[in-house]
Amino acid sequence: MNCEKCQELLSDFLDDAMSDADRASFSAHLEECLQCFHAHAELDSIVSFCRETRGQYDAPPNESAMWLRIRNTIESQPSFATAATAQNSSRKIERESWLKRAFGRSWQLSFAQMVTAVVGIIVFASLATVLSLRGLKNNPGRVADLNNTGSTAVALTGNAKFEPKDKIVLQQQEMNYLIQVVDQHKSHWNPQVRQDFERNLTLLDQTVNESLERLTEHPHDEVTEEMLNSALNDKMQLLKEFSDL
Amino acid sequence: MNNRPPDTRYHHIKKARAVLSLFAFTVLFVSFAAEVSAQRTITKKYPASKNVRFEMKNISGSITIEAWERNIIEVAATLYSPAAQFTPEQTEGCVGIDVVRDNRGRAVGDINFRVRVPANSTVNIETKRGNISISNIRGDMVRAHVSTSGDVELLGLRANQVIAESGIGNIVFDGELTGGTYTFKSLSGDISIRIPTNSSFNLVANGVEKSIDLNVFASPDLSFVGDGRKVYGNVNRGDGPRSSMIIFNQRGKISFLGR
Repeated sequence: MNCEKCQELLSDFLDDAMSDADRASFSAHLEECLQCFHAHAELDSIVSFCRETRGQYDAPPNESAMWLRIRNTIESQPSFATAATAQNSSRKIERESWLKRAFGRSWQLSFAQMVTAVVGIIVFASLATVLSLRGLKNNPGRVADLNNTGSTAVALTGNAKFEPKDKIVLQQQEMNYLIQVVDQHKSHWNPQVRQDFERNLTLLDQTVNESLERLTEHPHDEVTEEMLNSALNDKMQLLKEFSDL
Repeated sequence: MNNRPPDTRYHHIKKARAVLSLFAFTVLFVSFAAEVSAQRTITKKYPASKNVRFEMKNISGSITIEAWERNIIEVAATLYSPAAQFTPEQTEGCVGIDVVRDNRGRAVGDINFRVRVPANSTVNIETKRGNISISNIRGDMVRAHVSTSGDVELLGLRANQVIAESGIGNIVFDGELTGGTYTFKSLSGDISIRIPTNSSFNLVANGVEKSIDLNVFASPDLSFVGDGRKVYGNVNRGDGPRSSMIIFNQRGKISFLGR
């Protein structure tokens, strides 16, 4: 049992209107919580006093004079505007106190409450994800936009157009960069290594050109295409290996 | 006008010739001696487990790897340049030599290696130029990669994965197929595969026109495409495990031999 529940049930406890189980857990909480124990003691003393003095009160000596004093006091209260301001400020205080209560409160949730909260969050997150994915599928332009921005986001659908030309351009750029790096390092190499590298590169270029010529004559020749890809990959590999030397 | 007798003049010429010859000989001798003194041989030994991994990255020079029945790796290196150096590294289950890393930014000459490893070793060798010869290894994997010029010779191998690649150079494989993957690739050079006639494997081979000779492994299950520049299919010769063989040769021949 938490403090909030305890203070709700305080009057029921004093009125002896609780089940045995609730009473037991209430008593257990009182033993643990000093604040609730004091609250209970205070209310208990008030209730006990009221019970003891039920029906025993003295009438004021001059009743009409007393009512006159009360009326005068009410009439002497600040004006309506002042009262409105006071009302606003009291609302503000109330809001502040609500916030303070919300954040300052000790969130002692029961297991069932906690499970409900977690399940709720999961359901909400799943729904949001499903809806956003559906939105992307229905609007492939957005995926293409993501790709065009150069972000590393992976296209979620297969609808985005892939241009082989782009790949060739990228590969060519990478090759040009590697050739520059290799050219800078070449002077440090053993002359025989340099000579063999040049020879190999020339042969690879020759192979690439021959394959390209053949593909111009026979555009659907898959074997030549495989040879061309292999030669290009070999050239890239060679440049990478020697850029490290 | 020359007043000296002809005999004396002849003697002078003879003397000059002798002096010049001696000078030339001395120059030759000194240069050869300098070369010999620059050459160093280093031998190192490393205790190893049976299935140790041996890795090497060389720049230039020949590499010979041989299997032996000892749990030791023995590295013998001949260095032809005083500037050349290498520091082998041994970690748990692996011995590595990286000449590229150890000589970055320096023009070093050839380093020839002769290495003996336990027969069940995994061997991974790379060089920028020079021949690679690996023999009698029975480990999980054997890889030999020559970036530019050099022959690759793999003899008596029984490994589950074999990769042999060379730019300008021949590749010879003589071994057994054990159900693994076998890749052979050359830009310009001949590729020769010598395997038992009862080998079963899936083959994909790309070459130039009329360059693929299947010999005893010719089979109706194999298909030729692109004017005979590519052959693919299954070779079913025995009940052994089926291996996968991929061959790529841009300019040379591909030939199979049964044994």
